[in-house]
Amino acid sequence: MNKLTAILIIALLGSCLALVRSAYESRRVFADLDRAKLEQRRLDAEFRRMDAERQDQATHRRVERVAREKLAMSNPAQGATVFVEDVLPAEATR
Amino acid sequence: MSASTRNNGNGGQGGRGSTSRSTRNSVRSVDYATSPLLASKTPPWRSRFVVLLVFLSFLVLLGRAVHLQIIHTDFYQAEGEKRFVHKESLPASRGRILDRNGLALATSVAMPTVQADLKLLKADAAQRKSLAKLLTMPLPELNDRLDGNAGTVVLRRHLEEAVWADIQKLDIKGLQQVREFKRRYAEGEAAAHVVGFTDVYSKGIDGIEKAFNDQLVGHNGQRTVVRDRLGRVIEDVGEQASPVHGNDVMLTIDSKVQFFAWQRLRDAVLLHGAQGGSVVVLDVQTGDILALANYPSYDPAIRATMKSARLRNRALTDIFEPGSTMKPFTAALALEQGPWTPSTRLETAPGHITIGGYTIRDSHAYGSLSVAEVIQKSSNVGTVKMALQMQPRDMWEMYTAIGLGQKPRIDFPGAVTGRLRPFKSWRPVEQATMSYGYGLSASLFQLARAYTVFARDGELIPVSLVRNPENVGLPVVGQRVMSAKTAQQVREMLRLAAGPGGTAPQVQQHTLGFSVGGKTGTTRKLEGKTYSTSKYNAFFVGLAPVSQPRIVVAVMVDHPSKGKYFGGDVAAPVFSQVVQQTLRIMNVAPDMDVKAQINAKPVAAEQESI
Repeated sequence: MNKLTAILIIALLGSCLALVRSAYESRRVFADLDRAKLEQRRLDAEFRRMDAERQDQATHRRVERVAREKLAMSNPAQGATVFVEDVLPAEATR
Repeated sequence: MSASTRNNGNGGQGGRGSTSRSTRNSVRSVDYATSPLLASKTPPWRSRFVVLLVFLSFLVLLGRAVHLQIIHTDFYQAEGEKRFVHKESLPASRGRILDRNGLALATSVAMPTVQADLKLLKADAAQRKSLAKLLTMPLPELNDRLDGNAGTVVLRRHLEEAVWADIQKLDIKGLQQVREFKRRYAEGEAAAHVVGFTDVYSKGIDGIEKAFNDQLVGHNGQRTVVRDRLGRVIEDVGEQASPVHGNDVMLTIDSKVQFFAWQRLRDAVLLHGAQGGSVVVLDVQTGDILALANYPSYDPAIRATMKSARLRNRALTDIFEPGSTMKPFTAALALEQGPWTPSTRLETAPGHITIGGYTIRDSHAYGSLSVAEVIQKSSNVGTVKMALQMQPRDMWEMYTAIGLGQKPRIDFPGAVTGRLRPFKSWRPVEQATMSYGYGLSASLFQLARAYTVFARDGELIPVSLVRNPENVGLPVVGQRVMSAKTAQQVREMLRLAAGPGGTAPQVQQHTLGFSVGGKTGTTRKLEGKTYSTSKYNAFFVGLAPVSQPRIVVAVMVDHPSKGKYFGGDVAAPVFSQVVQQTLRIMNVAPDMDVKAQINAKPVAAEQESI
């Protein structure tokens, strides 16, 4: 009887320790997950910001100015343009 | 010893008395061990009473514990939660506004807002000075804010990311950042009137931002979490509401067309010292509004530029008398009813005609003109002669059918109806003036839409500003206003007006590769009840390419003040530039051969009748 009690007490203690450990582990993992989610949100916002900035750098106004002033480009003369018939459906050329 | 023996006789009555007496009598120390007090017997109920007291006080403690932990648990639970459970808001971003190619015209970007927690704040004079510089705020103002006694003060909203990084390098204790959404407008001034803007709390105030606020707005989410002592989130508690981001709105605007149209308009307005101007570009196959630009404009990012005169979307909200741009509709009605044909001749000499006491004049006497030439040279007398043979009702029906005096069906705040009086109240002279565009009013947008009748072989098409993904690429169905034959004949007249001998001869010349047709308009501005003799509006409304029209472009310039004021001189150049740019962007193949020669001698314009 005493032997059985001792075994049960040891088993109980072991299970308690395991519970503590797994609770700790789950909290740690959850904290990691949360941090990763936060990072995801931050990166998402960062992406949006940079995308907006990229577009700011590529506005038609800026492209036009750089092309004309810095690169000395101009529209091709209409006489020098050859138009080819587009065989693809109109949707593809949109 | 003698004292104690004597005292024995007193019995239980006088232990205290004997001690005091003995101390009074002598300074001899008391022998406590043999104190009679200790030797005396106490009654047994005393010790039981004390035990009972102790037991009772334990009972009280136990009762209190039960009370706190089992019965009234709310208070301490609430206090505990206060320390570990936190509510977090999950910010949702507002939807984007996109152009037809998916380029963002308006985006929300999370940007740092700098706050100072005044309890924690520690900043010396040098730090404050550099902080003031980074925040572009005068030092005294910054000191004012930092020396207050409120909990947290906002120092500057929506800082650039790089500036926040610099501020962090200053290493000031008590400075925090909060992420807040800011609206960015990529096209700035060029598309400001269409896109509109929001207030600081991201609520739409004008334009599409206002009209589609419900769709664009996002709903913040919320969640409850448990944090440990290091501030790490270790558990989710209760229900979570995930943030719902706003939906994107896709417009029919092509930002490239929009920008170039706005740029050309701006150049023209500045060149002619005008008060303002508008351009509308419509795709006649789909009814899409490709561009809708106004000048003067404002920068949606800079609130100081938002003055009421600049905020107006003139193309939609301003009405004016359309003047000669109405003449093609009178001619079209004449052709529909017969017996007029484009080559029917009528006499316009001596260059004026008197109706009911009023005299209507041409700029000079043209003599005998065909119907086509009346439009080409914009003769008031010729137009009136056609109109006087019509029933007022028929004219009214034509004007109503092309959308005048009717609220445009467009999702945009402030689009005006214009004015078209019922035909029963028309006097003959009014019928005459209405045939050439006086006595009724419309917005430039309505005028542009009306011209789709000529471009679509007699059909008036519904136009849209917002792209519906379900019917992208499908041609729209219009409402028939006149026969295809009439529309084609008028189109031919418009082509003549834009060529040599017309009121805007340079238009065709300057639009390389594409055939164009259009009508000039020059109207005196109404000032109170009379017409101004010095202020004009200049118009040009037209379509291209004439053989198979793809676009309608309408241009209006308000009060050009540097000498030139005719529609053919002021508005027409904008038209030809916009047409050429737009058709090139749309990849439309030229329908005319381009001759490399340059015509050195400008052709004199036919002077328009006002």
